[in-house]
Amino acid sequence: MPLAAGAAARTEWTDEALMHAIAARDEIAFGVLYDRYVDLVYSASLRVLGDPQLAEDATQDIFVRLWRRPESFIPDRGRFLSWLMSVVRNRAVDELRARGRRQRREATVTTSEGEDDQVSLIPSGEGDDPILAAQLHEEQVLVRKALAELPAEQRMALELAYFGGLTQQQIAVALHEPLGTVKTRIRLGMLKLRRSLGGQVRD
Amino acid sequence: MTPEHISHEQADEFAIGAMAPDVRTYVAFHIDSCASCAEIVRESEEAAAALLLAVPRRQPPGRLRENVLRSAGIRKAGPIGRIVQVATASAGVAAVIVAIASFTGMVSVRDQMNGLREENGRLQTQIDDALSQKVEILALTREVQEQEQLTNDLKTASRGDRDLILALSSPNASVAEVITVDPNQVAIGRLVWDAEQKKVWFIAAHLPQRPNGETYQIWVNSGGRYVSLGTFNTDVSGFARYETFVPQGLASYESAVVTIEHANGALERSGPSVFVSDLSRLRR
Repeated sequence: MPLAAGAAARTEWTDEALMHAIAARDEIAFGVLYDRYVDLVYSASLRVLGDPQLAEDATQDIFVRLWRRPESFIPDRGRFLSWLMSVVRNRAVDELRARGRRQRREATVTTSEGEDDQVSLIPSGEGDDPILAAQLHEEQVLVRKALAELPAEQRMALELAYFGGLTQQQIAVALHEPLGTVKTRIRLGMLKLRRSLGGQVRD
Repeated sequence: MTPEHISHEQADEFAIGAMAPDVRTYVAFHIDSCASCAEIVRESEEAAAALLLAVPRRQPPGRLRENVLRSAGIRKAGPIGRIVQVATASAGVAAVIVAIASFTGMVSVRDQMNGLREENGRLQTQIDDALSQKVEILALTREVQEQEQLTNDLKTASRGDRDLILALSSPNASVAEVITVDPNQVAIGRLVWDAEQKKVWFIAAHLPQRPNGETYQIWVNSGGRYVSLGTFNTDVSGFARYETFVPQGLASYESAVVTIEHANGALERSGPSVFVSDLSRLRR
């Protein structure tokens, strides 16, 4: 099957099917999954890290690890997108904790020279799926609305924990608030978020 | 915590990443063997993951795709690709020379050519295998280096966290409130001074990230003379934690102020103020 046709066929596959194929070393499936989620992974990394270069590094690292260790995703434990976001968050928060101290990596063997004479094994852009993109956009709008409905102090507690990588104790110290107050805000925030999203997020 | 099962509240704390590390380890261990608790945590993780889905979409640089494929070992790197081409061409030339020699020696050209083709094929396979191994070794080496760097960074960050926690729990530490200059601004912050460590921390949340070309700069003031303590920026969530040594202490300063200055900071305070803090009201 020609590469482009192979990629086109795979754009209709579910995330889980693509991961199954990736585990069988299907390079085209990897390309399709990359194209499907690279914007989201990069944007989420940028949201946590606030630095385009660090976000790019994190995105690269996440996808390379996904290719090398696809078995990390266990379908029985939840949907792929949630797992991916969890990986992104953990990777970015690890980076965030080292932020300001980490030196930029030197140019790697992968970016040195001779890019224009290489033959691509995977057709670029063939992973775009307008139906999936529309679903993701719809989900994004839904989540934004749910977040906007949260009281500011609850949203801040959630964001400091999730995007800032702070524990409840650290948040309490940083905000000069009692630990119990922070715990309550996180509990209520998550409760409202779950209720707002309940059953409406794409399965 | 219940010794046997995990509550929804604990699942939320786990999913949002707000749990203390030791408790987190316990929960992670527990859900590995408890399907019902794993399901509760999974639901919480779905909700937490939604926070990232709400992030505005940005497109990464176009070069990223190429870098990812190469780092994953899917696409051969430039110099290595060229080695393959050169090796193939060299083998082909060698085959022609040997074939001519065979002809002049009245040896069967066809047999020789077939033998050489097979030899070329074997050599090519060996070259491909060697190059694949080389790419894999380079990738593994790079991964090890990254892990070492990450470990060092985490150690450094951990030390920074420890210093701040020590400061906050120290009887020598004091905290000052900072007040936003713009009443419509929702930013909040605290200034922490540890006389023992001679360090000051400035922590802020909901502070807008400065665009390229601008930075926040923190100053202390004594008799109208402003001394810079350094520059910082927030992350996209509006959170900032800045720390610096102040060997001379804060006792001689009356106030602190955070201003917006051009990138790299200003020699003299000139930009608009964001925060002010009355250092005479540092309290333990």
